[in-house]
Amino acid sequence: MNEMANEVVDSRYSSSREQRDEAQQLMEKRKLRMSKLSRAEVFKAKLMQLKLQMEEFLRAPVYDNKPHFTTFLETYIDTLYDKRSEFAKDIAVTPVSLSQVLNNHREPKEEFMLKLMVHSERAFKLIGSFHKKIWYQVYFQEKINETMASQEQWRPEVEKKIKFESFA
Amino acid sequence: MKIVEVSSNKKYEINISRVDKADLDTITSERHFFDWKKEKTYEILKLTIAGEKDILGLVSFECIDEEKRIHIRLLAASEENVGKDKIYDDIIGNLLAFVAQQAVLKYAEWACISLRPKTQLAEHYITKYKMNVTGMTLSLEVPEILELIERYSNED
Repeated sequence: MNEMANEVVDSRYSSSREQRDEAQQLMEKRKLRMSKLSRAEVFKAKLMQLKLQMEEFLRAPVYDNKPHFTTFLETYIDTLYDKRSEFAKDIAVTPVSLSQVLNNHREPKEEFMLKLMVHSERAFKLIGSFHKKIWYQVYFQEKINETMASQEQWRPEVEKKIKFESFA
Repeated sequence: MKIVEVSSNKKYEINISRVDKADLDTITSERHFFDWKKEKTYEILKLTIAGEKDILGLVSFECIDEEKRIHIRLLAASEENVGKDKIYDDIIGNLLAFVAQQAVLKYAEWACISLRPKTQLAEHYITKYKMNVTGMTLSLEVPEILELIERYSNED
């Protein structure tokens, strides 16, 4: 087989010793490269990770009651800021209202979502690609997930109120 | 993520997903270069054109969490998609970019993918994918790993 033309790769280690030796060498080089990374490059990697996590959440939604939106939002803020109050200041909301959103004591208002969208557009310019609607999608996907996960609680009462009978 | 039909330059949307048991029964070493059944204890991903079943490329890899690294074990486009007469281009690039995404998803700024091509092929990977060299191992880390993901991402 002409590997050069084919790009076909067999990278399997022939022994665990070979793997261990190469891993050690590689880790030393990686630590050196890591030490030279700029702050912006580290931000970029963390934002890319967050973007991929949100995309994965949307691709394979799990019906649960976990606060994914606020977990992603916390990660976003903590990646970019040392203090959450600085983010609140940058999007012109009070630290208290931000805290209430993050602690799931208050739903984010329309204006909050719009500000978050514009803020994220600017932050994600670092990684070149960002879906404007992703925060909205995550937020509403979570609402769907919550609704589907809590059917046992809301369904009995709602079923009683619906007069329409099935055709079947 | 897209691949390009070499003859027409037309782009096709692709899917990359896990190989299942039924796939393993149809994959042959004649068309896909290796005995992929031997890789079933590792992650194996297949590349197909969206909406189609035909497997155009495969990759198997191992997540080494303690090193925050994903090591690519086997990587191959299907037999008709290698060499100068290949039908589709960018199969390997897309598979590499997808594995790179998995690494960033797990390890963020520590993300790393590695592979060990034969000496004559290493230069190609270094040039085309900007891989770093450490002994026999080629690797991609931040920032190059992010550039690879961006390059093969669809978003404008």
